[in-house]
Amino acid sequence: MATSLVRSGFLRSALRGSARGSQVPKRNFASSGHHDDAYETAKWEKITYLGIVSCTGLAVYNLSKGHPHFKEPPAYPYLHIRNKEFPWGPDGLFETKHHEEH
Amino acid sequence: MIESQRHSYHLVDPSPWPISGSLGALATTVGGVMYMHSFQGGATLLSLGLIFILYTMFVWWRDVLRESTLEGHHTKVVQLGPRYGSIPFIVSEVMFLFAFFRASSHSSLAPTVEIGGIWPPLGIWVLDPREIPFLNTPILLSSGAAVTWAHHAILAGKEKRAVYALVATVSLALVFTGFQGMEYYQAPFTISDSIYGSTFFLATGFHGFHVIIGTLFLIICGIRQYLGHLTKEHHVGFEAAAWYWHFVDVVRLFLFVSIYWWGGI
Repeated sequence: MATSLVRSGFLRSALRGSARGSQVPKRNFASSGHHDDAYETAKWEKITYLGIVSCTGLAVYNLSKGHPHFKEPPAYPYLHIRNKEFPWGPDGLFETKHHEEH
Repeated sequence: MIESQRHSYHLVDPSPWPISGSLGALATTVGGVMYMHSFQGGATLLSLGLIFILYTMFVWWRDVLRESTLEGHHTKVVQLGPRYGSIPFIVSEVMFLFAFFRASSHSSLAPTVEIGGIWPPLGIWVLDPREIPFLNTPILLSSGAAVTWAHHAILAGKEKRAVYALVATVSLALVFTGFQGMEYYQAPFTISDSIYGSTFFLATGFHGFHVIIGTLFLIICGIRQYLGHLTKEHHVGFEAAAWYWHFVDVVRLFLFVSIYWWGGI
């Protein structure tokens, strides 16, 4: 408790000192730095909005096409390899096709 | 005895979380092996192990947050530690993902006769890279732009704009993950359909997992920004999240070009 109090006091004075030390250069560069950061913020905000709009358009276009249909491939030996079942059942996490067949 | 601190470093207090994380990892590993080999109780032990690891991550990072933001222990010198540490972490992730790209290109550059001597293998109907895969790429890139917007907003001291930017970042990430999940369900092949299915799902799956991790990281940053934890001068947690997010973005570009586009047509 006492140690933490001393520590926090030291840190507070240290921070105050560092703040005082950096005050002069901060004042010199503050306006241009602030302007640059504000400008960059606005620029990337516009880029983000442009990205969101184009992604939305692209998404609407893609989803309106409906999902594709694939015909069943021949039973090649390297397809649907099953040395042993998964611990949760016959099908993988994202497949229900083969289960439906059986 | 009272001693004043005459240095800029942070001498950490003893912590139970390293041993806690180790025990969680042990339970996860043993539980995972038991589950895969159909031993009774494997699923339970695996689940408990994962929960314990997640709990350890939460409370460990909570402690770091308290030390840095609330107690003020992270001086300029101390901040260098997590900053420098982020770099080898991301480099190791690059090496991890490189293995999947190498495995994929090894198989695709010289297809074996067993799969028809062609790539994609005979009988594999691939996803059209011009559809969902292409759509997902600008979604993630826009999310990268949004996190850059958040970064500049924090530097400019615009607290509210930074929160909005992080909400946009996370929203785009969730949309990406949703489309990825939809793509997985629509895929005409599975992880066990030849080397193509294996390398495809491992590469895209681990990238997707990294997207989920990055999303959680950014959600935490958004909450902290809302609470006023991140300042102009001190936002190391956000910087780490932004670096990670840009890394995930770049991996997506490589993934789209090499696996969806070049490897899928």
